[in-house]
Amino acid sequence: MIAAIRTHGLCRNYGPVRAVTDLDLVVEPGQVFAFLGPNGAGKTTTIRMLLALQRQTSGRAEVLGLDCGRDYVEVHRRTGYLPGELALYPRMTGRQHIAWYAGARGLRDLSLAGALAERFDAVLDRPARELSKGNKQKVGLILAFMSRPELLILDEPTSGLDPLMRSEFAGLVREVTGEGRTVFWSAHELDEVQRLADRVAIIKQGRLVATETVENLRASTPQMVQARFARPVDPALFAAIGGVSVTACDGMAVQLRVTGAIGPVLRAVADHDPVDFTAQHADLDELFLAYYREPAAPELSHAP
Amino acid sequence: MHHDIPMRPHIAWLDLSNRRRGLTGYCLGMAVYTLAVVAMYPAFKTSSSLDKLIASDSTAAALFGISGSISTSSGWLNGNIYANFFPLVMLLLTIGYGAACLAGQDEDATLGLLAVLPVRRAVIVAQKAAAIAAQAAALAATVAVLVIIGRSFQLSTTAADVVSVSAAVFLLGLDFGLITMAAGALTGRRGTAVGTGTALATASYLISSLAPVTSWIRPGRYASLFYWSVGNSQISRGVSVGDYAVLAAVGLCALTAAMLAFRRLDIH
Repeated sequence: MIAAIRTHGLCRNYGPVRAVTDLDLVVEPGQVFAFLGPNGAGKTTTIRMLLALQRQTSGRAEVLGLDCGRDYVEVHRRTGYLPGELALYPRMTGRQHIAWYAGARGLRDLSLAGALAERFDAVLDRPARELSKGNKQKVGLILAFMSRPELLILDEPTSGLDPLMRSEFAGLVREVTGEGRTVFWSAHELDEVQRLADRVAIIKQGRLVATETVENLRASTPQMVQARFARPVDPALFAAIGGVSVTACDGMAVQLRVTGAIGPVLRAVADHDPVDFTAQHADLDELFLAYYREPAAPELSHAP
Repeated sequence: MHHDIPMRPHIAWLDLSNRRRGLTGYCLGMAVYTLAVVAMYPAFKTSSSLDKLIASDSTAAALFGISGSISTSSGWLNGNIYANFFPLVMLLLTIGYGAACLAGQDEDATLGLLAVLPVRRAVIVAQKAAAIAAQAAALAATVAVLVIIGRSFQLSTTAADVVSVSAAVFLLGLDFGLITMAAGALTGRRGTAVGTGTALATASYLISSLAPVTSWIRPGRYASLFYWSVGNSQISRGVSVGDYAVLAAVGLCALTAAMLAFRRLDIH
């Protein structure tokens, strides 16, 4: 099966700055693929390379089986794009933008554009300079979706949308992927994509630090173990177990962060007369914050 | 693998539509100025004082593109319209648009939506060039029509000469617009593009204007696009095929350079 997006060793340097380094990415068709990272991580640069808006320094990128650099016209024909910082022509209305864009793309059927405008309650008859950020974003979403592209590349698509419209957008994404089309969704936060994304990639300082399904990510988050004992215990006993770090200890109780197997921990706890024991996976957002914060990726990362 | 949508002038049309008010202003202003100049000709036709003034300081007059008698029909049109004011306004129009159409739009972040259309980048450049040509043609046609109408004010210049020299100014404007666009495509910076176009146009104007009165500049006049359009008495002797050929060749080179540069431009 031809991947919707495939990159191999993709690099982009701006002078001495390495914006994207050795990016290997595979997005299967029909997926919602969340591309997460903090500001300046290289998300937008990657998207621009996929659309041949910027050239890669080295490496290779394919979209829908087409070489991004050589076959960019065909890539553009089959792709819908919402830029991260959407700029519209200030004097033109949303309706004029849609009509012009449809004409320029050779699109005659504007029924979907009309339906999307209704669905998003878009303001189409005021000049773009008078529109709020959210209303401009709605016009951008209509432009991206209205040609029923096989692949949608959306850079911060929910930026400026209110919760109701975010929900509407989520429904639209579900419909699109239900038709077998693919959504490549760049975002800052896991929270807004975790209910929809099939796979998540995390990029930090231009490098891919993890690619996983949301379920696997959840499963691979560290377990936070709390144990209380009938008598004081030496926390070094637990720290000596592989994949265990002691995050708190008050003599009679310990709090552990377990990234390895839980069995040795259970056995060690059982040997010391426990009176209470709880274990739960860490919050997923915490995992992402850890990826963002820490100089090195957490030990759970699964690069492809 | 390229399956372009058949080339429709949507990009050119969009820019012309967005700039229609400005273009109308340029044309109206130039029309009023041209009409005023031709209407004043009878009052100066028999005056010898202007010619004496010019003769007394030919270098200063040359700075304004004036050489020879200004009381003849061709001298009057050349000294007041074709050698200075008309090219200046033309260059304001085409250099301004040339800088805005690629580099300016990239800085405004509106170029991204154009660049993801399913057309080759060369098509985008070609349509921007067509928009420069359309604007320059509108301005040149306005001046030509007004001067031809104004011949009733005792101007003896032939309509053919007016049309041909107006066409030469059109090509002059187109060339500098394309050069500016190419500089913008190369750098992605509007300011650099304007600076490049303006600097080259200024140098070109000074070389052509001062060549008749400054011997050391004279050999350099062939490097001036003004020389090939209005600086070699084209208003009285017509524009030669060679003049047109040089202007067209420079335009083609600039267009090619713009296309090559735009292929490599990082778009934001």
